[in-house]
Amino acid sequence: MKKKVWLVTLVVLLVGIVFSQVLPTIPRSETLIVDNLHGRVGNPGSFNLWIPGSLAGHGPQQVLMDALWYVDPQTGEWINALAAQEPVYNEDFTQITIKLRQGLYWSDGVPFTADDVVFTVKNIASHPGMNSSAQLQMYVKDIYKTDDYTVVIELNSPNPKAHNIFTSLVYGALFIQPKHIWEKVENPLTFTFNPPVSIGPYVLDSYDPQGYWFLFKKREDWQRTSVGQLYGEPKPNYVLFIYYGTDDRKVAAQARHELDMIFDLTPEAFEVLRERNKYSVVWYEDFPWAWMDDVNSRGMFLNNARYPLDNKDVRWALTLAINIEDVIISGYAGIERVSALHSCPTQYFTEIYYDPLEPWLENFTLDDGYKPYDTNVAYRIADWAKESYNIEVEDPEAVWGIGWWKYDPQEAEKLLLNLGFSKDRNGRWLLPDGTPWKISIIAPADFEIDATRLAFAVADQWRNFGVRVNVETLEAGPLWTRQALGDYDVGSFWGGMLASSGIPDIWTFINGFKSDFYTPLGTAVTTPNNYRWKVPDRVDQIIDEMGASYFADPKVMELAKEFYKVAVEEMPVIPMVINKKFNANDNYYWTNYPNANNPYMANVSWWAEFKFMLPRLEPTGRK
Amino acid sequence: MKVLKTYIIPRLIQYLLVIFIGITITFIIPRLTPIDPVQSAINRLTSYGGAYMEPEAVASMQNTLKELYGLEGGVVEQYFAFWKHLFTFDFGPSLSMFPTLVTEIIANSLPWTFFLLFFSLIISWIIGNILGGLAGYFKEKKWSNVLAVVAMSIYPIPYYVMALILVILFVYIFPIFPMMGGYSVGIQPSFTWSFFLDVLRHSILPAISLILVGIGWWFLSMRSMTSNIVAEDFVTYAEFAGLPKNKLLYSYVMRNGVLPQITALALQIGGIFNGAIITEVAFSYPGVGSLLQKSITNGDFNLMMGISVLSIIAIATASLIIDLIYPLFDPRIRYR
Repeated sequence: MKKKVWLVTLVVLLVGIVFSQVLPTIPRSETLIVDNLHGRVGNPGSFNLWIPGSLAGHGPQQVLMDALWYVDPQTGEWINALAAQEPVYNEDFTQITIKLRQGLYWSDGVPFTADDVVFTVKNIASHPGMNSSAQLQMYVKDIYKTDDYTVVIELNSPNPKAHNIFTSLVYGALFIQPKHIWEKVENPLTFTFNPPVSIGPYVLDSYDPQGYWFLFKKREDWQRTSVGQLYGEPKPNYVLFIYYGTDDRKVAAQARHELDMIFDLTPEAFEVLRERNKYSVVWYEDFPWAWMDDVNSRGMFLNNARYPLDNKDVRWALTLAINIEDVIISGYAGIERVSALHSCPTQYFTEIYYDPLEPWLENFTLDDGYKPYDTNVAYRIADWAKESYNIEVEDPEAVWGIGWWKYDPQEAEKLLLNLGFSKDRNGRWLLPDGTPWKISIIAPADFEIDATRLAFAVADQWRNFGVRVNVETLEAGPLWTRQALGDYDVGSFWGGMLASSGIPDIWTFINGFKSDFYTPLGTAVTTPNNYRWKVPDRVDQIIDEMGASYFADPKVMELAKEFYKVAVEEMPVIPMVINKKFNANDNYYWTNYPNANNPYMANVSWWAEFKFMLPRLEPTGRK
Repeated sequence: MKVLKTYIIPRLIQYLLVIFIGITITFIIPRLTPIDPVQSAINRLTSYGGAYMEPEAVASMQNTLKELYGLEGGVVEQYFAFWKHLFTFDFGPSLSMFPTLVTEIIANSLPWTFFLLFFSLIISWIIGNILGGLAGYFKEKKWSNVLAVVAMSIYPIPYYVMALILVILFVYIFPIFPMMGGYSVGIQPSFTWSFFLDVLRHSILPAISLILVGIGWWFLSMRSMTSNIVAEDFVTYAEFAGLPKNKLLYSYVMRNGVLPQITALALQIGGIFNGAIITEVAFSYPGVGSLLQKSITNGDFNLMMGISVLSIIAIATASLIIDLIYPLFDPRIRYR
């Protein structure tokens, strides 16, 4: 008997080895396998996305939930999803009328109507602690329906930005809840919403109680979803979100065609993958491969409340002491797009802001008349790439950016000497009072590796310039806390005002910089202004004017340009490079992912707008 | 009665004191770290770039989260509230996976950690001690020296290197074992023979990595102990008295040598509740180790304390049990 048991075990093990595949029960050719952004999900049984601590990027927001509107940052396309058209404001922006798309149904067969939208807003506003509750309380005086597909929101005060909360500008949004489920819930803060009722094109099939994978199955009535109505049938019958583990695991999985879409890899990991799997493509088919249209730029966030960084000439001196070409080539192996403005040079933002502002940038002068802008960075990097990779890039500016600031240590030195700085006999800088000038850069440890690399690359540049610099890497918890308290000299961060989206309106990114919200050091900020930039009055006016304008008003773009000009003059942070990603896609089972030759949308599997990619993917026919 | 007074009660008092001090330190340390769980939560909400919140809304959320997380009031107040909840094993909600209860999260992961680490530990303990005992007793033999060299080569290898070597060998080059997880994707846990086999197949590689490194340590420590015991007078006397070799080896040498190993085993069993962070990361294996690591980086005080408290109680209990049953293994011990 014992022998038989062992024999059976051995046979099962061997059979498992020979016929091992990701999903033993489902045809691989019908399944899209996506990297789970969050790693292992600790509470996989909770699909309540409306509470703090909830996670959404492991499938729920991509295939189950839906929002009223989406904006694609890659192209600037506005997508009416649950809504049938753009929001309609009254003249003084105290009322929004929302027309809803008809013919949509929840996955349990109940029609989607205005009742769901009205209920969602009331439900969340009346439960403090739920995400967006505080905002909805601030905005909404009343909400009601005028018919089954029309919702009216009365606002507490004029607010042309109120629809933003319902719009997926980048990652997620306020998703609509099914009233018929949630109205029976006693405590929405503890409700798990499991099984989730879907308004997206898929339903939950099963998930790993240990939080490593989530499997979603295409709805039979996919036509009754916004995705189906807008783009047609999603091609994969199943979507599996899975966390294989560290980068090496992901590389191995994609090399074995067991992972179609990877969230992000290090350049080194992608190099290995590229050699092992000819079907793996990120954005460009050749060097520099990476997707460089993510919506955040990285930079050196200078603590404007700490001496001597409170002086704009010091900030400019540090900017001119950086050789960006060196940073890109040595720090990033040439795979980065430079970001001169305080925004993100995505394909869309380059079109609407960078290109129009280039003449101004070329003529911009510091107070002493010096012109710091350098238009040739991209071309020099292209020359290096030609030498290193033997490739000819047709439009270097489209890849590496339109320009950055000159590397000019002499001008940087001049600025500092004018302020009373001096050098010791070793050529290192002393503050005007004769004490050594020391800078500490804080950066992430073990996550956002590009930010860490940037910190070390810039530290080298500043050391060469004669500043004593050390880099302190921190785990997420202490990093965010110190960032919020302003407990740093320089931070290698991203986002805040350096972000962009698919609309020209940058108000959401800059509103927090208003003087009203200025927070002294030691108190946690409630805005992105953790570097305590004391904005000039002109910025307050720009923010107010922009805040009072509808997002599609052409005036918004003009105001944004004004803001960027002030930011360049003041240089509160040094914007440096775009937040590139090596989000590799395997073209073995599926193809027609967005790429440089067909940039129909952002190459993202972790944002809510991923659902609109699914109908555009094509099976290759491989089994 | 005398045993109770002189031996059992002092140890029970010591046991309770260890738990009290350990848990108090566990409560204090996270609060000394530069981590604000509320700030971490808000950052998670807004870090994806698109989740915009007005400054007023953020301020309001900060206050609400403090209340929800039980972080209102002074540290002393929080400390007493913590003890009050602890008696019912209520660690509150996880802060990074709100509102899921910490106990629920731990209960979901602990069996996996326990299953893998307990069996790996026991197997490595048995094999390591037997081989170490034999190698120590027959230390003049060639095979003994070969074993020692092998063990000394394996033991210093950092665990993660060993794990990586095994992964490269048996997952990449020879794809014999699965890529990740505790069981196959798409399969739901159940009390069936096929599920058990699936779990077994997924746990072989992580178990081998733990056993290999573990054996090295048990082997070397047992070998050095038996080498010393062999030279003791009572062994020499027994040898002169003409006792059979087997009797000498097992009753005189091994039995004495294994005593400290039992203590070490008990402490390591207690340590299981900490999980093996590296194992779980290297093999994407479900368990409390990766949860503990995540809780530290996310400033999830409640989850951190839940796992730490469990670990403190487990190790203290293991030590107490060993203390109490030690006389059974070692009849020489007589407490007066």
